[in-house]
Amino acid sequence: MKQKKIFGLSRRTAIQILVYGGACAALFALPLFVGNDFLLNRYSRYLVLGMVAMALSLSWGHAGILNLGQGLSFGLGSYCMAMALKLRTVPVHTGSDGLPDFMVWNNVEHLPWFWQPFHSMTFTLLAGIFIPVLLAAFIGWFMFKGRVTGVFVAIITLATLVVANLLIIDQQPFTGGFNGITDLAQFKMFGIEFDAYSKSTYYLVAACLTICLFSCLALTKSKAGLILQAIRDEEDRVRFFGYDVAAYKSLAFCVSAAVAGIAGMLYTIVMEFASPTFLGVPLSLSIVIWCAVGGRKSLLGATIGAIVVVGMQGALSESALFLNTWTLIMGAVFVLVVLFLPNGLAGLVEIFQRRIAKKDG
Amino acid sequence: MGEIVMSEHLIIEKLSVDFNGFKAVTELSLNIAKGELRCLIGPNGAGKTTALDLICGKTKPTSGSIRYCGKELANLEEYVIARAGVGRKFQVPSVFRELTVRENLEVALCRNVGVIANLFHKGREAEAEGLEKLAEFVGLQEEIEKSASYLSHGQTQWLEIALLLAQDSELILLDEPTAGMTAQETQKTADICNRLKGKHTIIVVEHDMGFVREIGDVISVMHQGSLLAEGTATEVSNNPKVREVYLGSIGIDNA
Repeated sequence: MKQKKIFGLSRRTAIQILVYGGACAALFALPLFVGNDFLLNRYSRYLVLGMVAMALSLSWGHAGILNLGQGLSFGLGSYCMAMALKLRTVPVHTGSDGLPDFMVWNNVEHLPWFWQPFHSMTFTLLAGIFIPVLLAAFIGWFMFKGRVTGVFVAIITLATLVVANLLIIDQQPFTGGFNGITDLAQFKMFGIEFDAYSKSTYYLVAACLTICLFSCLALTKSKAGLILQAIRDEEDRVRFFGYDVAAYKSLAFCVSAAVAGIAGMLYTIVMEFASPTFLGVPLSLSIVIWCAVGGRKSLLGATIGAIVVVGMQGALSESALFLNTWTLIMGAVFVLVVLFLPNGLAGLVEIFQRRIAKKDG
Repeated sequence: MGEIVMSEHLIIEKLSVDFNGFKAVTELSLNIAKGELRCLIGPNGAGKTTALDLICGKTKPTSGSIRYCGKELANLEEYVIARAGVGRKFQVPSVFRELTVRENLEVALCRNVGVIANLFHKGREAEAEGLEKLAEFVGLQEEIEKSASYLSHGQTQWLEIALLLAQDSELILLDEPTAGMTAQETQKTADICNRLKGKHTIIVVEHDMGFVREIGDVISVMHQGSLLAEGTATEVSNNPKVREVYLGSIGIDNA
């Protein structure tokens, strides 16, 4: 049996690229039909959350690492951007020498050393990616070298998330505590000002999502991606082929952290604040649910899962008809998907493919 | 004595392992030549599987040495031992069930094991032909695009052997390759083993005496963690100690 090839790619990969490309094109076309800036802001938010779910799909769906603390990378990215934008607010809102307002209220007299580098936007963008990555590398190294697997990975990542969350709330003079960091300037890049309620921010988010989606797709299609899937199936077998399993798992964990960090930075731009709830347990658990609903083994599936679930949440909670029953409906949807679609919405595609294949031959 | 043995390949000396007081393997010594097919037999609990675990690094020895091509393997990490050229087939077939047969073989083909190298790995096309030949070797050419979860038990066993060949390890450890196989499937496995003889050094742990007679040159009998006897099938089956602990009075011919 020979594989059919299209431009040197297997048929499956070629179809996948077409579908991913089509989905991204649809994202870019959306503002042509939506004139309302408020709605665009809301859609940008959905896309950012889709990006975090995609990041989890990479580590959970493709490498079998159930990260219950995905919000850690997301939140750190978000705080990096918030710190930079806070330093850029109009001086009227801040203390002397541009000291952020909440520091003045907390009797901080000088800008702390770790806030200083955030005057540079280049540093901020690098920090928003590499702080989560370095932290993931550190935690990953200990977990994967120590052969921690399964539910224990989930517990460790969840615990790390809670620690980070408590630290941020506790260090109010430097982090804004419960209130988070609010009253931010607008993000400026290449001479464009990205107003959260405008097409420019929406396009920024859509572009980042597209780039991350295709980069991660390339990773999963590489031989390293294949080895990661093998690790998800039979970790020991892979080890006895001579692969350093810990290094491969760390790779997936770090790339996932990088994508979540980028998503976090975008979230601050879209929401115009950073809050400790971004590192809260409820958000991180929601990410797992989005991923499961969309299909954890498909990057695009997980992205769409997040958009669908968050979108439904928004629509149901605002509708006068459902009032507070919306949480019940969301729960029911989740249970139904887990029961009948173990591979999520993306699994539906496979089911249809099999039906068609059966009819054909 | 004192001579340098030219065929020095795998030398196990006084290997022992202790699981919280239970001595699974005690002072086991084996000397296996390059290209040899060695069968390891013995009653349940004799420490055969543990011996393989020790060689491939799954279990760390309490004392003793495992020298392979002059390199000490004891206490190295599994993946380092695998890179030194040791491949292991497990008792319960262990393949990647969610990947296709081709993808399984691709993972096993590991000329370069580095993370970065595999992120930007080119030339997967060129390898495809070699993988198809391997699939043919174990009779899975029709199944190459199928997910491994659809394979029968016997096919899964052969796939795992093919994976070891893709890995191209010089020393192959097979743990009960015919377990659960029909007579026909066992015959096919014996054929595969015989065709590999000479090209690879193979250690087979088996219970099926017919199979052992079919493939084995030298048979090592283990009992209670140490070596009881060693020799050809006839020598071993005529050994009174072996008859007593393992084969029973009927001997190897009728077992």
